[in-house]
Amino acid sequence: MTTAQAPEQPWFHLVTGPQPAVLVVPGSMLFELDEDAFAALSHGEPEALAELSSYMRPARTESGELPPVTALSLNVAQVCNMSCAYCYANEGRFGGNARLMDRDVAFRGIDTLINNSAERAVTIGFIGGEPFLNRVLVHDCVEYARTAAARAGVAVRFAVTTNGTLLREDDIRLLRESRFAVTVSIDGGPTHNRHRRLHGSRESAAAVASGIAPLLADPGEARVAARATVTRDDLDVAGRLAWLKELGFAEAGVAPVRTSPQPELILRAEDWPVFLENMIAAAQIELDRVASGERPFFSNLWVGLREIHRGAARPLPCGSAASYLSLDAEGQFHSCHRTIDMPGFGMGSLDDGMDATARRAFLASRHVDTQEPCASCWARYLCGGGCHAEVAAAGRAGCDYIRGWLDHCLRTYLYVLDRHPTLLARGET
Amino acid sequence: MTQKIFPRNLTARAAVKIAGNPVTTRLESGVGNCFPGLEFDHRNLDRRFFPGLVFNFGLTPPVLASTDDRDPALADQTPSDAQQLSAAVSAAFDKLGQGEWRLTSLTQGGRTIDLQALANTQQLDAASFWRFVRSLTRDKVTIVLTQTPTTAASRQASRDDDASPTAPIIVTLTHYRRQYVDADTGVISAAYLPGELTQSLCSPWMHDFRDCACNYWAANHPDIVLGVDEGFSADGPAEADPDLAVRPLDWLRADRDSRAAATDSPGRNNAFRLRHYQINQQWTSLAFVLEGRENYGLYAPGFEAFAEPFPTAEALADELVSLCGLEHVVLLEYLYAYYSLRKPQDFTDPRNSADALFARHELLGIAVSEMRHLRWANQLLWTLAKLGLIRDRGPALKPGRKVPSAKGERDRQLRPLALPELDDFIAVERPSGTLDGAYARVVATLHMGYPEPLLQLARQIVAEGMDHYNRFREIGIVLRSWPGVRSGTATPWLRPIQVGSPAAAGKALDLYRGILRDLADAYRRGDMEDAGKILDARQQMMALDEAAEQLAADGVGIPFF
Repeated sequence: MTTAQAPEQPWFHLVTGPQPAVLVVPGSMLFELDEDAFAALSHGEPEALAELSSYMRPARTESGELPPVTALSLNVAQVCNMSCAYCYANEGRFGGNARLMDRDVAFRGIDTLINNSAERAVTIGFIGGEPFLNRVLVHDCVEYARTAAARAGVAVRFAVTTNGTLLREDDIRLLRESRFAVTVSIDGGPTHNRHRRLHGSRESAAAVASGIAPLLADPGEARVAARATVTRDDLDVAGRLAWLKELGFAEAGVAPVRTSPQPELILRAEDWPVFLENMIAAAQIELDRVASGERPFFSNLWVGLREIHRGAARPLPCGSAASYLSLDAEGQFHSCHRTIDMPGFGMGSLDDGMDATARRAFLASRHVDTQEPCASCWARYLCGGGCHAEVAAAGRAGCDYIRGWLDHCLRTYLYVLDRHPTLLARGET
Repeated sequence: MTQKIFPRNLTARAAVKIAGNPVTTRLESGVGNCFPGLEFDHRNLDRRFFPGLVFNFGLTPPVLASTDDRDPALADQTPSDAQQLSAAVSAAFDKLGQGEWRLTSLTQGGRTIDLQALANTQQLDAASFWRFVRSLTRDKVTIVLTQTPTTAASRQASRDDDASPTAPIIVTLTHYRRQYVDADTGVISAAYLPGELTQSLCSPWMHDFRDCACNYWAANHPDIVLGVDEGFSADGPAEADPDLAVRPLDWLRADRDSRAAATDSPGRNNAFRLRHYQINQQWTSLAFVLEGRENYGLYAPGFEAFAEPFPTAEALADELVSLCGLEHVVLLEYLYAYYSLRKPQDFTDPRNSADALFARHELLGIAVSEMRHLRWANQLLWTLAKLGLIRDRGPALKPGRKVPSAKGERDRQLRPLALPELDDFIAVERPSGTLDGAYARVVATLHMGYPEPLLQLARQIVAEGMDHYNRFREIGIVLRSWPGVRSGTATPWLRPIQVGSPAAAGKALDLYRGILRDLADAYRRGDMEDAGKILDARQQMMALDEAAEQLAADGVGIPFF
């Protein structure tokens, strides 16, 4: 038994509710408590603290080795046929000129990825702007990547983020047959047409709906999910999800606006509690739906629950600069698709290769244990510190919301584990 | 775990040790999760996922290995359509007995996985196809089997049926996925024959013994060994092959009589090893390895058994104090010699650099090992004192004045590592020489009813002494191979170093004395309760190393005594 020496960082978090529990922060271990144990931990009784801390393992020492880059997004079209009010990419141009990626740049990017993947499966993402404005290149890249991957003996997967308005029959066939993970940017709700503006038309919702209808009707091997952006003028969550479900999506998630060329759309301090309430309400509807036998739909909830189930504990919010990079039309690598052309996020180029020094320095500087307020937050290893691009641009907003949501997910996890365990992990035999 | 804290998620469950379960049930004890085939190969279970049929998952798509009309699942009465489905499966057995059949499609819950199409278009390994089968639930599943290639009889049959001559011959069957274990008792289905679930797991003394990719227990064996002791004695091995006694041999070599040296590359050694089929038949020809040396015959314990025990515990303790002094003085001589060696980067010829690196590494290794012996010998003393078997003599940290030599004894000396000095060192460490001869008496004494750990400690010192002897000889072989060395007195590996004055080496000597003070404090407490002092001593050793290198580069050797 180790001694209950209180570390400076919060190392556990008590979860109240019908099933009292405690999250041990290192290792994201979740223990259910009876009333006595809960009270003892609440009062900081040494014996209870000692028992709890005895489950903690010594922190894994970082090897300092960078993981290989196994995912690369190609910004095939830094231009868009829409001009969404809140778009971080500013019509895909990232503040610069509209550009289409050359075949040469794309193919060299694919080669670089495969050569640096240490023979692991690779994922190639198409991103923009709107990738299907450079349709031919998307098709060519898939073919090229398959051949190159087969030659190198690695498996390859594809992903695309699209507004769905330009999909043609051959595109849909490509998405189906190449088993794409398709993310459709679509907000639903009354503000959709207002914020997601289609050049020369007001009815962008209808354009998206008709563009993706064939894919939703028959996704083939593709996995199609909706991603809705929540602006401060419409904080509704459940309504959007219902609308997206009605449209035929099998999966949907939402993301609140933290940075935007139009600041009036960004959520403000007073909006976050409302948004949290709406998320929790949507989660409750989702649980009722699942209880009646339907498949999981609200991806924010299920991703959260599955991460808690696994005990995911990570000091970074995402794989960017670690296993994931993004390539722009000029052949420059960036930490991710959101940091294109942002100073300080460059990670090398096709000519000079992926810059391991820059990646290492970036990851070291972003570690949650090395920065406040993250280092003193119990949710640090579940949250990871927030999107790098957003934090760089606007600091951290809505931390209370994130803690509130994770706290709710912890409670919900215990409920789901008891009633629907197979939704968290498949049972055996 | 008390009954008040219940682990729920996976990391919490992994962190809790269940009282009563052996440590081997811990997640970290198992390697099977990352290397199927070690503890349990799940494919052995899933190959019978469909009643009456047995598949192999080594090929893509999976291949039908056999049919099994005695499968108890074919006699299941429930669910209500089970018997009807079983009848259809049994009716297909004759057809499935002709030619090779592949599992080309799976359908469950309205979803179909076209395994043939995946095999044609995707870069999926055989394990991926097994995972598709693994992903089936205990519900009704429809499978398609396709004959590949189509047999003549089937073609004939197809023509009779007026089917297209190019259409593949298929059989479509539906049944419930097997219930692998009884839902109430957990007993594995009787369909599995004895040995079936463990087939393909690791086996020692067979192919795994040679080439297990994950070096699991079945592959554990000696790799590089010393050959049979052929006239190995105090006078050294046979003249005709002077370094035979210390030559590394590959234990798995196919030519058991070969005395060719193993290389430092497993790949190159591999070519000369027993092949897989040879292992299966000739593993009994492999020698036992004792003390790093092959032994085909009866193992005769060394001199230890014949050593004369000390008459009393106090006499034993006196000898240990004297041995501490001896360990101490030789480690100082070795350290002095170590700092006399040039660094690898001082040479332009890479072979010389490599030799220098080797000599420095080995010599330092021996010196460190002597430090350990000094500590163990002290540990014997403090343990005996704590047990009340001897009077407490305190830490023994005074270097001795005399060192055993080929001709009896010599005065202690700080000398650079020229060949005559090396021969002196070999003489100290020679098996059955003075040093381990003395320990042999210690061992013999400790045999007589002293606590077992003390005996093991003393034995460890003797075993490492044997190792020192071999390592010094190897250093000699390497240094003697330098051009011009054999004939003359050239010592190109040496720095021009001389014993410095206490003033010149003041800082280094202060560190040395500081180390002794800290060790004395730690040893006085015994049982390593004062680990902080040990750590302090280690820190100072690092600083001493740095200071000694600097002095040596300036031609100054440390006047340890």
